[in-house]
Amino acid sequence: MNQKSGKTTLYEEHKKLGAKMFSFAGWEMPLQYSSVKEEHLTVRNKAGLFDVSHMGQVFISGKDALDFLQNLVPRDLSGLREGKALYSLLVNDNGGIIDDLIIYRLPDSESCRKFLLIVNASRIEEDLNRLLLFKNNFEVNIDNKSDELSMIAVQGPSSAEVAEALGLNKDDQPARFSLKQTELNGYDILIARTGYTGEDGFEIIVKNEDAPGLWQEILNRGESLGIKPVGYAARDTLRLEASLPLYGQDLTEDTTPVEAALCWAVSKDKKENYSGKEIILNQMTTKKVDRKLIGFKMLDKSVPRHNYEIYVDNQTAGQVTSGGFSPCINTGIGLGYINTQKPFSEGTKIDIMIRGKLHPAEIIKKPFYSRK
Amino acid sequence: MTVNMSGVLCTKSHEYAIQAGDVLKVGITDFAIEQLGDIVFVELPEVGTTFKKGEVFGTIESVKAASEVYLPVSGKIVEINEKVQNEPEIINEDCFGEGWLVKVADYDKADLEGTMYYDEYKHYLEQEEEEIV
Repeated sequence: MNQKSGKTTLYEEHKKLGAKMFSFAGWEMPLQYSSVKEEHLTVRNKAGLFDVSHMGQVFISGKDALDFLQNLVPRDLSGLREGKALYSLLVNDNGGIIDDLIIYRLPDSESCRKFLLIVNASRIEEDLNRLLLFKNNFEVNIDNKSDELSMIAVQGPSSAEVAEALGLNKDDQPARFSLKQTELNGYDILIARTGYTGEDGFEIIVKNEDAPGLWQEILNRGESLGIKPVGYAARDTLRLEASLPLYGQDLTEDTTPVEAALCWAVSKDKKENYSGKEIILNQMTTKKVDRKLIGFKMLDKSVPRHNYEIYVDNQTAGQVTSGGFSPCINTGIGLGYINTQKPFSEGTKIDIMIRGKLHPAEIIKKPFYSRK
Repeated sequence: MTVNMSGVLCTKSHEYAIQAGDVLKVGITDFAIEQLGDIVFVELPEVGTTFKKGEVFGTIESVKAASEVYLPVSGKIVEINEKVQNEPEIINEDCFGEGWLVKVADYDKADLEGTMYYDEYKHYLEQEEEEIV
């Protein structure tokens, strides 16, 4: 069995396509195949193909599956119907974010609920530790299938056409934030209408041994629709434009959902207890946090990057957690944490310290890009 | 602009230098461009600044990352290419011609001894590639 470390099952495909490889969360992933800007715009205008096999897949089943998960995340999962999905956060006792994940409710089996958690590659271990810590009190099975499964994402406005070209009619395609178990070109797959680019698209989970075949099939059948493989450099600029946080940069165990501006992923009226609940709800009601995640754009041609300092009124006031150049807006953009001592809002002028010089920027509304 | 490539000297850190009269024209090589991808911002020093050989004299920002550029010789910056500051994509299009970065005067020709002619540089890159593979 090909262990999930180092190389994904699609490694040889990336080499064949001439990808420049780099190390990401312990994995050798494609950085780019052609030009970052071109790959970025391919996803915005047509469709891009991503290898996201490094991500973790953890299945939760058993009589207490729902109650178990309800203890771990601030979002109420009781209304999550079969085949639907929710973005959620795994939080620690202080309300700090252990991981951000998507929870899919699979079709029930033998009258018990079954869930699939798609988690960040860099956090699989911490996630499992957290799940195991809470397991005792529940009748639940935790099945980490990350080593056996690969994941391929098709993202972009033409994604539905690409899926159709592979034999999945539009009527049979899952709706947004939904998941289906089906067959695609003879491969057994789980297909979800989710992604990390701000575009319409699918994430397809497939057995490791089927991944190269499915990858090739998607590229062949999608060719006339303009599909192209897209690397991680463009994945980063795409998710940044869509203001989707990256764990390890924008989210850490020291940030709460309120600080991270992820209150929408917290159900305020959730009855069940979960770890960190008191702290999170207190922050939500009092609106008192020491720092808050903001989005900003540069007012000159410079480019903000991870770890640069944010200044307000010539005083250091925070840090850029994600930054880069936006190919769609043609400007440097970034996400960062700013301390809340001074009032700020959209339109507030700030500065970013870049190589010893302050460069003007402005807090703006997130996301930087929304699809039409 | 057509450039006589036989006069192009390259460094292992992928800058080039072209001697033009009393000054040295410095930029980054086509290989560097290929690695960086689409260039979106260039930060150049002020005219009159002096640098030692190997010192950082500017930064090139691509969509992907920020990269520092090193001066191949000790000397004084006498001109910067303002055109590439406004239209950084010129560097992608014509790095050896219109896409130069700075002009250096008062430099010592001996500083160029460790550089490679363009065809030697190409050969060097091929060998590097083999070592990586």
